[in-house]
Amino acid sequence: MFSYCRHRHSSPDPQAPALAIKGLEVVYSGLRPYGPIGPEGGEKPALKNVTMRVPVGVSMALVGPNGAGKSTLFKAISGLLPVRSGTVRIFGHRLGACHQRVVYLPQRSEIDWQFPMSVRDLVVTGRYVYLGWFARPGKEDLLRTMDALEQLGVADLRGRQISKLSGGQQQRVLIARALAQNADLLLLDEPLNAVDAETRQVVARVLEGIKAKGKTVIVATHYYDQQEGRFDGAIYLKDGQQVDALSH
Amino acid sequence: MHYLTDPFQYVFIQRAVLAAVIVGVLCAALGTFVVLRRMSLVGHALTHSALPGMVVAYLLGVSIFSGALVATVLTALGIGLLAKDESVYEDTSVGMIPMVMFAVGILLISSTKSYRDLSAMLFGNILGVTPADLRLIVVIAGTSALALVLFHKEMKLLCVDPNYAKAIGVPFDLLRYGLLVFLALTVVVGIQAVGTVLTNALLVIPVAAARLLTDRLGAMMLISCAFAVIAALTGVYASYYFGLASGAAIVLAAACCFGLAWVIRLPSKR
Repeated sequence: MFSYCRHRHSSPDPQAPALAIKGLEVVYSGLRPYGPIGPEGGEKPALKNVTMRVPVGVSMALVGPNGAGKSTLFKAISGLLPVRSGTVRIFGHRLGACHQRVVYLPQRSEIDWQFPMSVRDLVVTGRYVYLGWFARPGKEDLLRTMDALEQLGVADLRGRQISKLSGGQQQRVLIARALAQNADLLLLDEPLNAVDAETRQVVARVLEGIKAKGKTVIVATHYYDQQEGRFDGAIYLKDGQQVDALSH
Repeated sequence: MHYLTDPFQYVFIQRAVLAAVIVGVLCAALGTFVVLRRMSLVGHALTHSALPGMVVAYLLGVSIFSGALVATVLTALGIGLLAKDESVYEDTSVGMIPMVMFAVGILLISSTKSYRDLSAMLFGNILGVTPADLRLIVVIAGTSALALVLFHKEMKLLCVDPNYAKAIGVPFDLLRYGLLVFLALTVVVGIQAVGTVLTNALLVIPVAAARLLTDRLGAMMLISCAFAVIAALTGVYASYYFGLASGAAIVLAAACCFGLAWVIRLPSKR
């Protein structure tokens, strides 16, 4: 009833692609250690002139070495970083107009895994975007949470504290939260990085299931060669600039 | 038994116990998020920042609570604002502000040439709580408790995954400033119990002790509140029977709770 953002239920434009980016430039400013500093000590774009169009229902790889700007691009699409210039349209809407339709799965290091919280409580946060202020998760929210945990094969861990999860289990729990949100555009940042073989298989199966439901998936990776067959295409980034886009 | 009940024949003791328990529980409940969001230093900054406000209020002849309130809320907003400037590291601003504010407070104290009157600001005086002080404590504690209940789920998300909170449209800055302002209000009531120097201890120690015993958030809040109540009562009794400084007694009792929790947990670490 009291949503976090008044635009959150914008309906998708049926003619629009899942994601359309034109001339995107993102700049980190100041002296923070993670912000690249230009040769004169000023600002240097973390992303420069990125343009792409991702149709609904495809899975794309976002390929590039560490520091290429993959996470920055995802954060800009999620509204976490300000856009200096260019446009980002998600299902035909401007940034922030449809929060519930986009989910950004961060790298595991961005979560405070020491926070005292159970696996179920973390996954149910994927329902908060529908709940808004003051409402508590209801029966449907808990059902969707359990369903997501079962799809990832971690339902038996629901009562476990998140501080007691292995790396692979952490990744599965984060993907379960993304599923619980039931978003239409999933941005997954290195979901297969440093996880066990079983988790790789489960995640690959779940991603195929997501695509089969007509949802759009973009996966950031720097190991594209090993997974080429899994994607409909790839977008290459290097030093914050788009190098190439490839459709299979 | 009468050792426990005798002090309650005095109205000022009843007020002191009530104030100490409310302040202790409030500090423990809010302190849970302060500790888990690793904001202990911010609490430290706010407690020290209250001093100049209290001194100015004293010099103006108004309630020192109101002076502390203005100074801590302004500092909380200042920390929030400085932290948004990417050229200033957050821990730098948090480390800088309390020292500047404390220095201003000491300067003002020295200009009044009346150290004695102001010692209660530094070290607290729980036995000196007036009915008006108690009313303010109840109002601030009630408001903070209501905010904690209403925004509990957003606060949890803010701690565990702030980026996700931002991405789903939760107004991150509003919550952050809100937490800082409630922290400032809590510091103001904490100052009455244990003074500016020790209030941060009341925010941190009971929670740190509870964290040793449980890894569940709800249980952690309850246990830390229980520790805070034990510490608060111990402080009041120590002050009544032995004439000890109440603030120091409360903080040391909380430290004993921490020591006890640490000993209890020892077998599970082996």
